[in-house]
Amino acid sequence: MSTTPLPALSYLRFLRQSLHVATEGGWVFYTWMFVLTAVALVGANAWAVQVRDGMIRTNMTDHVSWGLYIANFTFCVGLAAGGVMMVIPAYLYDDHEMHDVVIIGELLAIAAIVMSTLSVVVDLGRPDRFWHMIPGIGKFNWPISMLTWDIIVLNGYLLINLHVVGYLLYMRFLGRKPNPIWYIPFVYLSIFWAISIHTVTAFLYCGLGGRPFWNTALLAPRFLASAFVSGPAFILLVMRVVRLGSDLPIQPGPSRLLVQIIRVAAAINLLMLFSELFTLFYAGGSHLASAKYLFFGDHGKYGLVPWIWSAVVLNLVGTVLFFTPAAIQRSKTRLVACLCVIVGIWIEKGMGLIIPGFIPSTLHEVVEYSPSLTEWKVTAGIWAFGLLILTAMLRVAVAVFTDEMKLTEATELTPATEMP
Amino acid sequence: MSEKKPFSLPVVGEVDRRTTLKAGAATLGLAAWAAALKPMVEWASSLDRDEFFQKHYRELTREQLQVILHKLTFEARKETGKPVTVKDHKPIPGVVFAYALNLSICIGCRKCAEACHVENNHDRPSNQSYIRVFEMQKGGIDFEKGNTTYDRPVPGKDKYYMPVQCQQCENPPCVSACPIEATWQESDGIVVVDYNWCIGCRYCEAACPYHARRFNWTKPEVPPDEVNPNQSYLSNRIRPQGVMEKCTFCLHRTREGRMPACLEACPTGARVFGNILDPDSEIRWVLENKRVFVLKEELGTKPRFYYFFDK
Amino acid sequence: MLGRDALMLSLVVVMSAGCSRSAPAPIELPDPVGPPRFPVVIRKPLEAPKILTGSVDEKGNPISIGCATCHTTNPSNPEARLGTLLTKFHQSLRGQHGHLTCISCHNPDEGYASLRLADGKRLPYSEVMQLCAQCHGPQYRDYLHGAHGGMTGYWDLSRGGRERNNCVDCHHPHAPRYPTVMPARGPNDRFQTRGSHE
Repeated sequence: MSTTPLPALSYLRFLRQSLHVATEGGWVFYTWMFVLTAVALVGANAWAVQVRDGMIRTNMTDHVSWGLYIANFTFCVGLAAGGVMMVIPAYLYDDHEMHDVVIIGELLAIAAIVMSTLSVVVDLGRPDRFWHMIPGIGKFNWPISMLTWDIIVLNGYLLINLHVVGYLLYMRFLGRKPNPIWYIPFVYLSIFWAISIHTVTAFLYCGLGGRPFWNTALLAPRFLASAFVSGPAFILLVMRVVRLGSDLPIQPGPSRLLVQIIRVAAAINLLMLFSELFTLFYAGGSHLASAKYLFFGDHGKYGLVPWIWSAVVLNLVGTVLFFTPAAIQRSKTRLVACLCVIVGIWIEKGMGLIIPGFIPSTLHEVVEYSPSLTEWKVTAGIWAFGLLILTAMLRVAVAVFTDEMKLTEATELTPATEMP
Repeated sequence: MSEKKPFSLPVVGEVDRRTTLKAGAATLGLAAWAAALKPMVEWASSLDRDEFFQKHYRELTREQLQVILHKLTFEARKETGKPVTVKDHKPIPGVVFAYALNLSICIGCRKCAEACHVENNHDRPSNQSYIRVFEMQKGGIDFEKGNTTYDRPVPGKDKYYMPVQCQQCENPPCVSACPIEATWQESDGIVVVDYNWCIGCRYCEAACPYHARRFNWTKPEVPPDEVNPNQSYLSNRIRPQGVMEKCTFCLHRTREGRMPACLEACPTGARVFGNILDPDSEIRWVLENKRVFVLKEELGTKPRFYYFFDK
Repeated sequence: MLGRDALMLSLVVVMSAGCSRSAPAPIELPDPVGPPRFPVVIRKPLEAPKILTGSVDEKGNPISIGCATCHTTNPSNPEARLGTLLTKFHQSLRGQHGHLTCISCHNPDEGYASLRLADGKRLPYSEVMQLCAQCHGPQYRDYLHGAHGGMTGYWDLSRGGRERNNCVDCHHPHAPRYPTVMPARGPNDRFQTRGSHE
């Protein structure tokens, strides 16, 4: 660093150029960003109204006290954890082709963590008291409350990924070789950390003795297995977009590897889901109540039945499609398979797992839940915002990796830094 | 505008026009965000600065707490026009509360739930109450066959009734769940909520196995002339929007030595309340002489709310 | 007929409520040595009930008469139970209270103006709980230990007293089964439908 005369200045330049590049593109890009901004605005407005009028704007009740927001939160944490399935091959197994594109997984992780954090923030009744959660000035019930663990691991994961990605991009921008000391330990830490975010998120639910539907040791492994399906599937889609929309060379190897990973993870996920259901339905008893309501309806109420069967069909179809030879190629089949499992797992983890935890209630009252318009708007807004920052970050990353954006003498106001 | 060079970004070509356009779009975008978030501004203006910076209840000095109680009292009087006093009731040393309920003589009249509704200044439209009375089918203690919305003469044939409220667990899962210690157990066993500290994440509500916690989905509505003026910081003062609340065994009454409102309302005397540390108390007699049970004993929550049958 | 019964019921309730407020009498409960305790007051009827004649005086007030007005002259029927055998008076007195006869509880020696215990000992109406306790021992025991019967006041008797119902505040002596009542309004939760478990 000492060889750079004014590192602060060149970092400012990096940020300024990033801002410039991130807002630069063709009409497709602008339309996409415009639409995302519009949806995000609708979501922000819906949230603002919800904060003003109270959570009565949602369809949550004292019986179903968590809804679409926490459902979406759970999925997004999985998405963030799924990015690690690029990091492991790239760094643990030195897969060079994967190494070239691993940044996509890390950027997805960042965007997904932002989305999950937002999903929790919009679920708060009193977001103005956010500071009560900040260790030191607030009161942080650590290590007792699992939610504090979740706050730690999610923010930690965000910081680790921001550091790794930011450091690598900045070094590339400077035209310098990154110093392994400054990022390799963090990459290994991020692998461990990715597992932890989804494990801790599962512990949020399975640690509650009063909710038999969640109170299963299999929840964390199931979360991880489904995350290693939805995460890589989402990355496959992003890679497709990046390949078609930019000059970044993407080899077919990484995608093939991801499909292989998905095959294994999807099979394991289905196996665990099956053994969970077997235990519930074969043994029966009161623990069965939620699963019965979820899959077949109970007490004349069937609110979640269409959701869960859609998820089952989508997951099965997606898994089967991934096992076809066409999925190994850059084919439409692969795209369809990705979409199937992403939507399928989104439902399975959200409407299919969080909501039935509350139905029937702990005293076996059946009060149904379906998200209100406000909840849909806010959730859509969160996704739009997440995709917005993902697109912007990808735009910068691609520009840096294709040398569209780099610190050159032409753009240099201060004397040039050393070039490798 | 295009004549000028607003600021120079280090890229080639078309800098001025594009940059200007972008600056315009950014301005528009910011304006749009401001417009979208406007309801939040309306809401924020109703917030109180002192309340925003208020410390956790247990970290307040006596003087600070007095100031807050005065302020709450003043505001409540202004809002309701009634001689409201918001006090702070501390636990009585040497007292741990317990409650027992005789299922043989409970007739399911919901008088307890109604009394709770009035005593604790609950939201009127939702007819909120900390007590839910289950009409149960004789032959088992199966909540799956229970019903809270019954609306016909009681007691019904082959039915018995099971009022459920906060069990004031000795090992409360809600307290462990709270990420910010906004809910805790006091020395007399009552689990309380600092309504000015709770962020409304509702993790405690998910954690409670007895459906005992309630959330203020909107600002509670109580007509001024119906407000119970004897209020306490940790119990029945009118709650803010977006925070959790729960049964406190009427600590504003019981910490003055009085019976909880639900007990006084019970026409059959199914409810027994008292200090479990006092060997001569009624509650001790019940625990020692009746075969009592607790709900969901297997969860290890150790409720201090006991049920028993006479016959 | 029914109207008469209802009147009778209300009479008992009104009496017990009215009288106890005017002259509450403390009752001795098992009291251990300890700090001074405030009294536990049991509401109790002080005198024999009166019977509404059905007619009114010149001011329009209902006329009621004491038991002895008739019973000193009319011989009692030891077989009678709850109106079934009565031919002249009290025909409307129906109810269910085991196989008791009138004189199981009412004292014919005093023209029914008092009660009597199973051993024939006279008992004023104000001490009715003793009468009930003869048969309903477990309930009386629970009552003495605060586990039966409504009450208001203080759990902590060193800070304040307590007022308790007596047996006949809630149980009609002629038909002691607690009456069926309409419950107070139920919860009004959003999305909770009525009778969801039916």
